[in-house]
Amino acid sequence: MRHVMVLGYQVPRHTALGIIGSLGAIAALVVLAPLGGDFARFWVFGLAFGIVLQRSRFCFTSAFRDLFLLQDGRGMRGVLAGLAIATPGFAIVMSNQIPNPTLGMLPPDANILPLGIHTVVGGVIFGLGMVLAGGCASGSISRMGEGYVASWVALGGMLIGLLGVAYTWNWWWDISIGRGARIWLPAYIGHGASIAVTFAALAGMYLATVWWESRSGLAPQPPALPAAPGVDMTARLRHVVQLVFVRGWPIAIGGAALGLLNVLLYAGAHPWGFTGELSRWVIGAATALQIGPGTLTGADELPGCALELGDGGVLHHMLFLVLGMIGGSFIAAAFAGEFRIRVPRQPARQLQALGGGIAMGYGAGIGLGCTIGAFFSAIPSLGLNGWVFAGCLACGAWLGSRIIAR
Amino acid sequence: MQRLDVRGEICPYPMLRTVQALRKLTPRDEGLVVVTDHAPCLETIPPQATRLGFSTTITETGTPEWTLTLVRER
Repeated sequence: MRHVMVLGYQVPRHTALGIIGSLGAIAALVVLAPLGGDFARFWVFGLAFGIVLQRSRFCFTSAFRDLFLLQDGRGMRGVLAGLAIATPGFAIVMSNQIPNPTLGMLPPDANILPLGIHTVVGGVIFGLGMVLAGGCASGSISRMGEGYVASWVALGGMLIGLLGVAYTWNWWWDISIGRGARIWLPAYIGHGASIAVTFAALAGMYLATVWWESRSGLAPQPPALPAAPGVDMTARLRHVVQLVFVRGWPIAIGGAALGLLNVLLYAGAHPWGFTGELSRWVIGAATALQIGPGTLTGADELPGCALELGDGGVLHHMLFLVLGMIGGSFIAAAFAGEFRIRVPRQPARQLQALGGGIAMGYGAGIGLGCTIGAFFSAIPSLGLNGWVFAGCLACGAWLGSRIIAR
Repeated sequence: MQRLDVRGEICPYPMLRTVQALRKLTPRDEGLVVVTDHAPCLETIPPQATRLGFSTTITETGTPEWTLTLVRER
C-alpha cells in the first residue's frame, strides 16, 4: 500500500484521494448553494445515492440477471428491501396530496405512467440491454465514478438510444403512449388496500426468490467480517471504519437506504429517476446543432422520466443529481481503495457495452424510465405500470442471460 | 493450484468464468486461485464456490485487486 504525507500524517494514497474528492464535493456545494435552483440539494442527494450504490455494491441488473444466470437472489432481496421501505414512505406523501383517491385526481409527481405496449417493449429492451451492458443506468453511473471505462461507453450508448427515441417519439405517442391509461391502485381500492396488496406482492416475490435459491442449492453467505475488535476503543472505532468505508455493506441495508433516500427526495421534490435528464442532454445538443427532433407530443405533461426537450439551458437541478451520483461513487470507492481506471481487456466488451447502452436508452425512452424511474420509483407510487415494467425487465434479463451464458 | 485471472472483467463474467473453471477441475485438483479487480464479485463468487464444494478465502492486497483462494472441501 503506497502512502503520501497529508498535514504531517502518513495516509494511504487512496485515502488521500477520498479526502480530495470530499473537499471537491464540499467546494461544489459552496459554489452551488447561492445559485438557487435547487442545485445544491440535488447535488447532495446525488452524492448520497452514489455513496450508497458504491458501498453496498448495489446493482439492479444483477438483481434480475443473477436469478437466471446463477440462481442467486442476493440482489433481488436488496431491491425488495428498498421497495418495502419506499412503499409506506411514498404512501404518506401521496395520501397527504390526495386524501380521497376515488375522485380521479393523481398525485402530480408520482411515477404513475401510461400503460401500454410501449411499457412492454421498453421493459424487455431495457432488461436485455442492461444485461449486455453489464449495468443499468444507475449501475453504469455509479461505476463511472469507480473508474470503469466500459460504463462510460454504456452511458454514451444510452444517450444515442434516447436520441433515437426522440426521433420516433411522436409515432410511439400516437400508437401507444398517448392512449395508455394511468392506473393508480388507490383510485380503485383506496390507499390502505393498495399498500396491503403491494406488501403482499413483495412478500410473494421474496418467498419466490428464497424458494428459487434453495431449490438450486445456493446458501446465502454473509460477507467475511474483520476480526472482532475487543474492548479497546481505538480498535473498536477502526473496526467500525472498516465496516462502513471499506467492506461492502449488506445488500438489504443498501436497498433500505436507497428506498429511504427515495422517500426523502419525493417528500422534498419528486421521486428518484434521471432518464429524462439524460435525454435532455442529448436532445438539447441535437437541437443546438439544428438536427433536433422538433416537438415531442405530450412528453412535458408526463411525470417521472419522460423525454425532455432541453431548451432550458445547460443548468438544471437534475444535472447535479447525476453528477452527484458519479462524485459520490468516486468518493466512496476512493476511501474503500476500490477506485481504479479499468479498461476491459477484450475489445468486444466495449462493443457489448455500447450496444447494451443503446438498447437501454431506447427501452428507457419508450418505457418512460429505467430500473429507477419506471420500476424502483413506480411500484411505491402504487402505479400498475411499475409491476408490468418489472415483469418485462425480468423477461429481457432472462433473454440477455441466455445470450451471455453461451 | 491453478490460477484464473479475471482482472478487467465486470459482472457477471468473473463469476461465470470462475464457475466454469471450477467445473473443469479434476478431483485431483486441490482448488483454484482467482485474481480480480472487481469488488462486487467478492460477494457473488463465495456462494457459487460453496455450491460446487469449495471454501473461499479472500486476500486483500491493499490495491484494488483481490485474490480468492477456492479450496475443495474434503
